[in-house]
Amino acid sequence: MEILLQLIFSGIALGMIYAVIAFGYQLTFATSGTLNFGQGEALMLGALVGLSLAGNVLGGPYLNFWLMIPLVMVFGLLQGALVEFIGVRPAIKIKSEFGWIMSTIALAIIFKNVAENIWGKDDLKFPSPVSEAPLHFLGANVLPMEIIIVVGALAMMLAVEIFNRKSIYGKAVIATSNDRDAAGLMGINTRLVITFSYALSSMTAAFAGVLIAPVTLTGATMGSVLGLKAFAVAIIGGLTSGVGVIVGGLILGIAETTTGFYISTGYKDVPGLVLLLLVLAVKPAGLFGKTAIKKV
Amino acid sequence: MNFKASIVGFAVAAALSAQVFAADAIKVGLSGPFTGGSAPMGTSMRDGVKLAAQEINAKGGINGRKIELIERDDEAKNERGVQVSQELINKEKVVATLGYINTGVSLASQRFYQEAKIPVLNNVATGSIVTHQFDDQPDNYVFRTSANDTIQSGMIVKEVVDKRKYTKIAILADSTNYGQLGREDVEKALAAKGLKAVAVEKYNIKDVDMTPQLLKAKEAGAQVVVTYGIGPELAQIANGMVKLGWKVPMIGSWTLSMGNFIDNAGPNAEGALMPQTFIQEPNTPKRKAFIEAYQKAYKVDRIPSPVSAAQGYDSMYLLAAAIKQAGNTEGPKIREALENLKDPVEGVITVYNKPYTHNDHEAITANIPVIGTVKGGRVVYAYEEDKKVGGEVRTKAAKAAPAAKAPAKEKAK
Repeated sequence: MEILLQLIFSGIALGMIYAVIAFGYQLTFATSGTLNFGQGEALMLGALVGLSLAGNVLGGPYLNFWLMIPLVMVFGLLQGALVEFIGVRPAIKIKSEFGWIMSTIALAIIFKNVAENIWGKDDLKFPSPVSEAPLHFLGANVLPMEIIIVVGALAMMLAVEIFNRKSIYGKAVIATSNDRDAAGLMGINTRLVITFSYALSSMTAAFAGVLIAPVTLTGATMGSVLGLKAFAVAIIGGLTSGVGVIVGGLILGIAETTTGFYISTGYKDVPGLVLLLLVLAVKPAGLFGKTAIKKV
Repeated sequence: MNFKASIVGFAVAAALSAQVFAADAIKVGLSGPFTGGSAPMGTSMRDGVKLAAQEINAKGGINGRKIELIERDDEAKNERGVQVSQELINKEKVVATLGYINTGVSLASQRFYQEAKIPVLNNVATGSIVTHQFDDQPDNYVFRTSANDTIQSGMIVKEVVDKRKYTKIAILADSTNYGQLGREDVEKALAAKGLKAVAVEKYNIKDVDMTPQLLKAKEAGAQVVVTYGIGPELAQIANGMVKLGWKVPMIGSWTLSMGNFIDNAGPNAEGALMPQTFIQEPNTPKRKAFIEAYQKAYKVDRIPSPVSAAQGYDSMYLLAAAIKQAGNTEGPKIREALENLKDPVEGVITVYNKPYTHNDHEAITANIPVIGTVKGGRVVYAYEEDKKVGGEVRTKAAKAAPAAKAPAKEKAK
């Protein structure tokens, strides 16, 4: 029982990491029908910028961990806006179906190479802001940082949801995601809304980056595997649902840890991917997604 | 000086130097991962080789010819290693190549050298089959200056079973060629003692959570975790054990001495045990000179991977000795010279007295490495008695086969 609990706790922490990245996919998909395939790299850049501010890699530390977070989020906003401006806007303008896929992947590779040149290709240690000694909870062990990851990720997603539902700017986002053309006719600057959604999505990724960096290791290649897993989560949960990515993340995270223990650690990635195939076969819009009818 | 004159001067100088180089330099390839998770080993090996090459060149080179190193980053990727080997052989026309950190890259790349009859000295890769890949061919061009996994797994099992009397052993190995071949060797060595690991777990490079693997080991009642992997993931294992509040000794292959394991695991790395051919301890004049030269040249206090640096340094000296003895740079001649080295070569790890024969391409035998441990963020001798005699150079053991034959002959007489 304690074992199962330990596995579930680790799975939840892992799943929330996936969920918060997948949430970023969902944000841009809602407004523009496009995705930033460089989500993992946005996370990596956030973590490395955070490490430069709060760690000692580039002559620091300049700030403590908590003060560094707002700056990293601002950096994420700018980085996301840049991706949209260079990679996605031209594709949307010419109504290209696939242009944005290539350009966001290309930008992701460029970001990775830039990061390798600035911070090197080695994995770096991110100083933990809280104690690294585990807490005992119902007979299982949890790292304080893992609790921060779960709480921080949930708070982040909640804040963005509240912003979207309550504020006038958020309403513009929702209007754009419901019907981009109609929103444009109502005087909403849909282009700006799309830019904004990209900025928000990279901001959540950058935030996720500094949250998880103390638990994982920090380096130019940290984002690629996580970005891919989060993509699977977004598909399982549904690209149009905020709740979906959380549930999808938890499913994948817990599936990985429990399979690793009860079946074999060599197969731990399999159930998540089998689930992905099942969802695509049975409910292609995802477990919580709205089925969209594409009018041709 | 006017512009035209300077151009003419430059052109003449360039032409002259090109001519001198074309006539003189001996091109030696250098292939290793200088970036990524294996980088501490790759860069230390490269810097060790460079140091040796500089020393040899400063003393006038080999038979009056200078060594020119052609360095290439194989990124620890098998396909990249293949490209590098083809470039070094066909374009750069190297006379021999030093390097290979990763067993997988070595296995994928060295067949091109074998086909081209150009010797390769594996100075870090440890997979047991590395030097036996071409056993079916009359001549083998693959040599090694590192302690292979048969030796290392034997030492690990000896430490775990004989010295520390553990009977419940968990093995955690990564899913690369290195990890899985090493795991096989450990399992074989355990089987020889009549033991079977209670848990054998696998993980991928870049995995961020080791909870399932460690829990399985813990539940199986393991008293010790034996690892076969590289630095960053080894750090995740050490950190994961602390997270689970489960502290058992970590004993593994020599990679537990990597800087990126020690740095990323911090205090959790303390006490990890591993076989080492070289420990950064200036206990002989040769080692002292080597460590000081390395620290001075690369401005570091702790060598990122002392074992790789020392093995790289020694491999350059062995190759230089072979080329000198061969008197030319043809591959088969260098191979023959390596197999019949007349004069002992003094390296930092040991004195190589006839290190290779036609059928034996391993310079290191089981008696040479010692057990090292992480203490205060550095790798030191694990046992005082090893440290005390650390200054006595351990040389290659006489082959077991002839020794066994000798008494038989006696009897026949």
